Amino acid sequence: MSIQTAMPTSMIPGNSVIHRIHPVPKILWIVIYVILAFTTQNIFILYGMALFAVAMALLGGVFRPLLKAAYLIVPVGSSLIALQVLGPAADKPWTVLAEVGFVTLYGDGFYYALVLLGRIVSSMLLSLVMVMTTHPSDLFLAFSKLKVPYTFNFMLAMTLQLIPVFQREVGLVLSAQKSRGMKGSGFAAVLPSFVPVFVGAIERVQQLSVSLESRGFGSSGDKTSYRQVAVRIQDWVYGIGGATVMIGLMVYSIMQPGLWNLSDMISFSPRTVLISFGVSVTIFGSVILGATFLSFRKS
Amino acid sequence: MARRGKHAFPSQIETDLAVKMDGAHYVYPNGQVVALSGVDLEVKKGELLGVIGQNGSGKTTLTKLLNRLLKPTSGTVYVNGLLTTDRTVQEMSAHVGYVFQNPNHQLFARTVKDELEFGPRNIGTPEEEIAQRVAAAVEFFDLAAFIEEHPYRVSFPIRKLVGIASVVTMKPSIIILDEPSTGQDHQTTRIINSLMRRLAEDGTTVICVSHDMPLLAEVVERVIVMRNTEIIADASPREVFADQQLMLTTNLQAPQITNIALETVYPLGGPIALTPEELAADIASRLEKGKR
Repeated sequence: MSIQTAMPTSMIPGNSVIHRIHPVPKILWIVIYVILAFTTQNIFILYGMALFAVAMALLGGVFRPLLKAAYLIVPVGSSLIALQVLGPAADKPWTVLAEVGFVTLYGDGFYYALVLLGRIVSSMLLSLVMVMTTHPSDLFLAFSKLKVPYTFNFMLAMTLQLIPVFQREVGLVLSAQKSRGMKGSGFAAVLPSFVPVFVGAIERVQQLSVSLESRGFGSSGDKTSYRQVAVRIQDWVYGIGGATVMIGLMVYSIMQPGLWNLSDMISFSPRTVLISFGVSVTIFGSVILGATFLSFRKS
Repeated sequence: MARRGKHAFPSQIETDLAVKMDGAHYVYPNGQVVALSGVDLEVKKGELLGVIGQNGSGKTTLTKLLNRLLKPTSGTVYVNGLLTTDRTVQEMSAHVGYVFQNPNHQLFARTVKDELEFGPRNIGTPEEEIAQRVAAAVEFFDLAAFIEEHPYRVSFPIRKLVGIASVVTMKPSIIILDEPSTGQDHQTTRIINSLMRRLAEDGTTVICVSHDMPLLAEVVERVIVMRNTEIIADASPREVFADQQLMLTTNLQAPQITNIALETVYPLGGPIALTPEELAADIASRLEKGKR
């Protein structure tokens, strides 16, 4: 997997039901999604949210590009599970599962690893689906309707628009360096690849700022937009309906004792935890060793 | 090292050609954009070849197939007798040097000298030879004053020369120059011009992709014209630039001097001028004849 294809963060054109939703409900969904994800410790809610995001991706026709982002979850998830089993983010005393030499493995951390992973997965997937189904200019317009300061709004929109440009730039730089015999992966590729990209980014930003100022950026008064997105009744339904479901879920699980955190109700067998730990350590170790091997391999 | 591929084509063939392309076809991974349609091409060793065509006609795709940055969807590409699909870009970099249009895409080292040494080191050139090659490049490109400078602290034309020199020091038998004169001042263009001639004299095959028709008219000995992912003409620059119908259908512009010659002296008979010197000589000779 090349660097430039690792994170699909630009809009993928389409006319699906998700594409047609007004950006404001989408922003609202993301905000409440992130709040819910980072407050609840109920893994059923968290992974239900992740599944909902996947359903959104399927509806929006952006499932395949979203899968590319899922590659990133593998090393993150495996490192989380491995580290949490070694040192849980739970109150002591911890349940000892096994002792391998001087290393002690704890059962309590496995649940919290799944919670942390669920938070990352659900928030990331929904945010990516929304970014991939929303035109940056529409997002800009939505933020301006939400009275977000113009400069901040512009910075956000420009960042989103520049990401694919930089991804393309990384591809070009890698091609240029590989043409000079450089290995295309590993730590050895980092310096020759990223210096030109950083320098290019700085130059681009400098030119952009001059160009913006010369075209009246920063002048006072109301700003107009080429693109206009009308708010339809469905958008109100999506926005208010989605927000109500998520806030309701939040309130319900807080009010029902035990629903907010299921760590006392769910227990994993030592065998499950140990196998998961073994698999996670293997994956995480392979990623690290693979990267190190590629760095030192002679071309 | 020759490797056996999964296909029916031999990994290596005996050939005197630098490039042998048979039915090379390339479709971008999304499957929707055809970038090259069944191209056949043969380039002799030491030949100076120009590639012209509108943006999107397939010029860059064609050249990227040569150093394996792209792999043909179908067809074969042999470079120095090696089947490119059986090689990595790193392996091909010892045979094919690729100078990208924007030097900023490849410069990263702390000094110009480090930059010039980067390529030869990657392909395992001995230290002594690296020093010799760098010294030769510094002399040819007149970079002595900048050798300890950071590549980003020198002017853009010098940076361009550093980019070209950093590929030349790898001593590949084929060099591809992508838009070498774009955004360059007259002096840098002159250096690029003489570099191409000198490389060809030394037996290097030079493939120049450019919109700079006067440069190509002056330097290359053969031009291929691309249109809609195909090669539609392959002839000497004199023949290509004199073909007004071809220029019209491809939306290309022959050198101004050639156009002036076509409108003025050519209808009276005689060869078509490609450079100001040729046109001046032609007019002078006609005037001389007129006096007599």
